[in-house]
Amino acid sequence: METGLSARRAVMLPWVSTVARLGLAAVWLIAGGLKVGDLAASGRAVSAYQIFPYDVAKVIGAVQPFLEIALGLLLLAGLAVRLSAGISAALLLIFIAGIISAWSRGLQIDCGCFSSGGELGAGASPTYGWDIVRDVGFLVLAGILLWWPRTRYSVDGILMGDVQ
Amino acid sequence: MSKATKDRAQAKRIVEQQRAAERRRQVTIWTSVAVVAVLVIAGLVGWGIAAGQEDNKTANLVTPSVAVDDGTAFAVGTGPVKIDVYEDFMCPICGQFESSVAGTIDQLVAANKVTVQYHPIAILDDASSTAYSTRSAAASAAAAVGGKFAEYHKVLFANQPAEGSAGLDDAKLVELGKSVGLGDDFAKAVDDGTYKAWATKVTDTAASRRVTSTPTVKVAGTNLQDRSAAGLTAAVDAAAQ
Repeated sequence: METGLSARRAVMLPWVSTVARLGLAAVWLIAGGLKVGDLAASGRAVSAYQIFPYDVAKVIGAVQPFLEIALGLLLLAGLAVRLSAGISAALLLIFIAGIISAWSRGLQIDCGCFSSGGELGAGASPTYGWDIVRDVGFLVLAGILLWWPRTRYSVDGILMGDVQ
Repeated sequence: MSKATKDRAQAKRIVEQQRAAERRRQVTIWTSVAVVAVLVIAGLVGWGIAAGQEDNKTANLVTPSVAVDDGTAFAVGTGPVKIDVYEDFMCPICGQFESSVAGTIDQLVAANKVTVQYHPIAILDDASSTAYSTRSAAASAAAAVGGKFAEYHKVLFANQPAEGSAGLDDAKLVELGKSVGLGDDFAKAVDDGTYKAWATKVTDTAASRRVTSTPTVKVAGTNLQDRSAAGLTAAVDAAAQ
């Protein structure tokens, strides 16, 4: 695969991907970790988007933090990086779609991205634009891993027999 | 190097490449299976824990005898126009709302124009180190059972702790109750946390009605946008037509 790349890029790319992998792992672990302590609040955060019936939102709110933490751990370990990155990208696209949907309907909510608060606090206004920019940034990390999934210090690398 | 040696070397290289490719394929398949398995298990764990929490809620649930609206609110007044007030005792804007309209609400109740249903929900447990939202909502339920909801509701907002603080401790909640004439039953209910599960249920019911922020005020079922005294009076007058 590397034959088309210059030797320099072949050396650098796995390091770039490694940084992307660890960065995305941190994003998921923090996002999930901040929500997992109060699953009811996480459910309310999902419910605040007014997309799902409340009972469905509760289940999504309960499952989501665990999925995020699991994805974070998988990326941290570097197991099936391309698939993990693909699932990450799919989740991020869903989140971005949700934020755009809330924005377009004029809802006054916190995105609940890194917190379990669906409701906005004292006089706060929504920050949908920044939330989307941030999620797109994370999407770029996932994109890097989708294109160049080979990283240093990964379980994939060990199993594949790559030189570490 | 003879041609035969060259061919042998090339054949060997091709076989090695094929072996490596096969190995990569196997690794990709099994790591993918592992990833999917981990994610499914994680999802099931989340679901299981949430279901367990739901069971806990119903297992410990004590619904206050005086609660109305499917046992999720306390009514003040008996007038024809219904006002629903969803508040968290920790929420500063609720405090502002109370201080600006409490007098107006008292007048509307006294004039027998409105029935106010208070829904003490707990969505700001994170804003105190002691889950004050849940404890105060539970204490207000105990006050309602003691026949002093309106009075206790007022005194809680008058003594509202700051966001990010430890909140008022249970002893202070009891003391405030005594100050409005509540007795030992009230103190015991606060100390035992009798109505904590109920506070969670009220929060849940409110969320299922899309109440995601506090204060949410509904006059005759319609969200009140202008939460000033004048706005409230106008909405009540309109609903009474």
